[in-house]
Amino acid sequence: MHIVKQLMAIPGVIAAGEFAYRGDRFSYEGALTNEFARMASILCRANTLSVNMQSEIFDSFSENCGCRPVQGWITRGNQVTVCAIGNIFCFIENRKELLNDVMTIMRAKVGDVQDDLLVNLYARIGGDTKEALY
Amino acid sequence: MNLERLMDLPGAMAAFTYTDKGELQSHLIREGNEVTPQVLGLLTRSCVANLAIAAMEASGWEAVTGQGGFQPLQGFSVVGMEWSVVVNGNCGVIAKNRDVDYEATFIALQAA
Amino acid sequence: MSLKKILVLDGVVAVCRFRDDGVIMDAAGMLPSDLMERLAKFSQWYRRMVSGNTDLLSLFSQMRGWSPSKGWIVRGATMTVCSVGNMVCLVENAQSSLNEIMQAIGEAAHE
Repeated sequence: MHIVKQLMAIPGVIAAGEFAYRGDRFSYEGALTNEFARMASILCRANTLSVNMQSEIFDSFSENCGCRPVQGWITRGNQVTVCAIGNIFCFIENRKELLNDVMTIMRAKVGDVQDDLLVNLYARIGGDTKEALY
Repeated sequence: MNLERLMDLPGAMAAFTYTDKGELQSHLIREGNEVTPQVLGLLTRSCVANLAIAAMEASGWEAVTGQGGFQPLQGFSVVGMEWSVVVNGNCGVIAKNRDVDYEATFIALQAA
Repeated sequence: MSLKKILVLDGVVAVCRFRDDGVIMDAAGMLPSDLMERLAKFSQWYRRMVSGNTDLLSLFSQMRGWSPSKGWIVRGATMTVCSVGNMVCLVENAQSSLNEIMQAIGEAAHE
């Protein structure tokens, strides 16, 4: 089963989807409008770029410190949490044990995210991984 | 801030506090880890940056979409290959991915 | 524009043109090659990160004029790193004119 469908089957998952490098390429299911999903895609891209950069910096100071390749990130809100592994994102309610379950499933289904950022961000959604960023 | 209690969290490799600017204030590192105070010092700077950006995103998202539940922020985590760093406010924990309990860690940092 | 025309500007220590993957296309100035490589890689990442955050700001503020981002500046106590597009410059603050340097690397970036 596709990871997004698998996540949406879990009670408490509000929305889940995929995002690509460019904010205009995404897919999603759940309680988001098309416009909100596009915004979520841009937000996820920004955070993913940011943590990727940080892990490269840490790695240059302390090789094999266990950070690279970075897998994802979590933003814990008051009642809602957003998490991303690779190019899959998920909005969830802050129910007991749900975040741990979702993270376990995402990490297992997405697999280990490798080093090439563009390949990761286009891997499932399609796109030219050699495409110039600008 | 009781760093010893944070070190009791599942998978905890290091626990630390930092100033509002991200300067490392105090830390505990479990023996046998590759985490060094120098890396922690870099990490705490990025923690402050990440929390600030996440807070901006939460604020912007709520304002534009009208959805609630994101603010006030309860923390941020970077998930690395082998470990994750989980932070909130002025303290954080580095935990091994195979053992980490994200929820318990966010709750413990909230109480700190 | 040749990098040397940027290098002669007051305060410029090093200037570099980098590719989308962080590889150096051209470089000039008083910086060892390994540091120049780190500068190029850092600049490439920073450019991506700033672009991402600018898009977010644009999204949330609904204001025109932020995206697409053109560059960034990190101002230190005595040194500054500044970038427009795929050009980055390391500058000593004393006696340098940031406006002039940003203008010059801006023109070079679009060649």
